[in-house]
Parts: sequence; C-alpha cells; structure tokens
Amino acid sequence: MADPRELMERYVDGDARAFRELYALVAPRLLGYLMKMAKSRALADDLLQQTFLKVHRARAAYVRGADPMPWIYAIAHRTFIDEVRKKKRAVVGVADGDEVPEVAAGLTGEADGARDEPADPELTKAALEALEDLPTGQREAVVLTKLDGKSVAEAAEIAGTTVGAMKVRAHRGYEALRKLLGAKKPPPQEARRE
Amino acid sequence: MSDADADLIRALAGASAAKPPALSPALEAELARLQPVKTRRPLRQIATLAGISGVYAAGLVAMFTVRGDLHELPMPWLLAAGIAWLLGFVIPCYLALVPRAGSVTPRWRWAAASAVVASIGFVVLGLFVHPSGPHSHTLGWEHFPRGHSCLELGVASALVPVIFGAVFLRGALPVGSRWVAAALGAGGGCLGGLVLHLHCPVTDAPHVGLVHGGVVLVSALLAAALVPRATDKPLS
Repeated sequence: MADPRELMERYVDGDARAFRELYALVAPRLLGYLMKMAKSRALADDLLQQTFLKVHRARAAYVRGADPMPWIYAIAHRTFIDEVRKKKRAVVGVADGDEVPEVAAGLTGEADGARDEPADPELTKAALEALEDLPTGQREAVVLTKLDGKSVAEAAEIAGTTVGAMKVRAHRGYEALRKLLGAKKPPPQEARRE
Repeated sequence: MSDADADLIRALAGASAAKPPALSPALEAELARLQPVKTRRPLRQIATLAGISGVYAAGLVAMFTVRGDLHELPMPWLLAAGIAWLLGFVIPCYLALVPRAGSVTPRWRWAAASAVVASIGFVVLGLFVHPSGPHSHTLGWEHFPRGHSCLELGVASALVPVIFGAVFLRGALPVGSRWVAAALGAGGGCLGGLVLHLHCPVTDAPHVGLVHGGVVLVSALLAAALVPRATDKPLS
C-alpha cells in the first residue's frame, strides 16, 4: 500500500496523480468518519469534498516528512464543526432508507476483528441509531478510537482536545452506546418468530 | 474484548465502508492547474521570526532611548530579567511554530501552557522583583494610568512576531488555532517586555508587574482574538 507521506510529497511537488492516489487511500476512511459524524450520506459527501479542497488550498502548510493523516482528519473535524455551526443544527437525521452502508469492503484501519465476518444488519441498524443518540464529542471519540483504530493521542490531536479529555469521552461514549444499544437492540430471531 | 463488544464494533465498522464520490468539479479544476508549492519549514520560520523580531526590538529601543538608570541597577538582576524576557519570547514562539517530528500541526497544548505561564509569571515576577537606582522613576498607584504608553509600546513590539507567525501558520492549524495564537501573542508580549526592560526607568511594583508584565497577557488575548481569522483563512 502507498505511503501517505510519499504521496503527499509528490503531490506538493505538483504531481496530480499522487493527489488522486492519496484521495483513493484516505477518502474511504474519512468518509466513514464523516458519515458517522454527519449522520447523512449526502452531507458526508459534501464535507469530504470540502475537506479535500481545504487540504489542497492549505498544502503549502505541509511539513515534508510528516504524516499527513492526523492533519487531514483534523481538517475534516474542523469542516464538520464549521458546518454544524453554520447551519445552527447539530445533526441531520438519517431518514429511513438513507444509504449509510454501501460497499462493505476495501477499508483499512478498522478495529481488530471488524472484518472477520459479516455484521448482523439488524445490529448494524440498531448500533447506528444508538451512535446517533450520542453527544457529538462522545460520538467522535467512539468513531475515532473504536472504529477508525486511532490511538487516544491521535484522536485528541484530530479533535483538538487533550488526551485525558479524549479518554473520558471515548469511555463515556462507549458505555452510553452499549446502554443505548441494550435498549434499542432488536429481539433475537427465535423470540421474534414466536 | 467481549463477544458483544466485537459484534457492536463489527456492526458499526461495516456501516462505515462506503465508496467515496468522485472528485468535485472545483477540485478537478484546481488539480488541472496544479503547481509545485514550497512547503512549510518550521525551523527556518522560527529563525526568521526571531531574527526579524530581534532587529525590530533593537530598533525600538534605539528609537525610544535606553533607560537612564541602567548602569545603577544590579547587573545580575538586569541580566537574569533580560534572559527571562528573551526566553519568554523564544519558547512560546517555538512551540507555536515548530511541530514535533513527524507532525504537521504545531504543539498547541504546549504552546497554550507556555502562553499561560508567561502571562501569569511575568506579572508575578514584576510585582515582587523590581530593584531601582537613584535615577529610577516611581508612578505608584496614584499615577498608575500614566503607564499606558508602556503598554502601547509593549503591544506594538509584539506586532512583528505575531504578524510573521500568523503568516507562517496559515493553513497549518485546523485545531487549536486560538491557543497557538495566544502563544504567539505571549511571545511577542515578552519581546515587548524586553524592550520596556531596556527602555522604561519606572521601577515601582504596580507599573513593572501590571504594565510590563501585563503586556504579555494583553498581547496574548489580542492575538488569540484576532490571529485565527488570518491563520484559518485558507481553510474557510
């Protein structure tokens, strides 16, 4: 797999193909993050485009040899926050049938075991609904640390907070998610058949 | 990790695997005219900032004259305070501009801590340590407001490092920009404090502590309020 550092260096040297490779490498992960934050595929697509446009316009701020991923994620985080503030509303609800899950392959960086076997669609739906109910900060902490596989320090850098605060948000968010899921989880197949 | 946790994470991770859209027309248009750019070189930037700011500060001291009681003051205090002001300038500016190895964004948490320490530290230091000589002046609380010219000179001294820092950091601060700006302001304020240390002969505690030290706090607050508008511009 291509190294984001190498791609970024070629890109700032004027290689447009390197940018496309970087987009192909980073965009699926970033879209997953933005979808869970924005709770709407259309808004997440728009935020993704805005994020890469900002990366492009700020590319001179890149420091050669540095890992561009936390910086790109931080720009995505900031883009999302700006959008929320601009629209004066925290979230856009996921309507029934809104196509959140799409292609279940090709992602990197998920949590261990995330791809071992297909997820139960009912559980996925319930989990997404529970995730939506979390406050923005906790939702972001869960998405970054539990799903995107980021370390707490990386997640804190992306969200612009301290490591301690990120740890607390991730823990509280995950606990709240489990509780919410307990309340929303559909009954087992056998029970429903009866 | 329990089975239930693994199921939960698997369920959420499965929903995140979406195919990204094609590049937007705006981005395609930008890519069509892509040119190589000079990337940020933090060490060179801090050296440039320190050099230009040093020349500017020396020019201000020369223009406004060196304090008349300079030779009467205890040399160890004069030197130690001068070095403290200088470090107060360099350290926050360094933390605001230079990221840790392998990172793009500056160390904003450390920069924030340096801004807070400098803003409080120099006020406290000035209130408690302020030796004087026979030709030193005293304003006291009665004439305390007359010290505003020192505040103005100190903040004016902070302008150059803050402006250069803001230009250097454009686009590099998606998060923590206010704290980094505060560090730049505090660093610039310390440069102002150094200029006042060499220029102003007033040595009473309220003036040295609250005005000379206060320059750091005022510059940090002003920079935190204004600089993010410039540093965030490429991202909006």
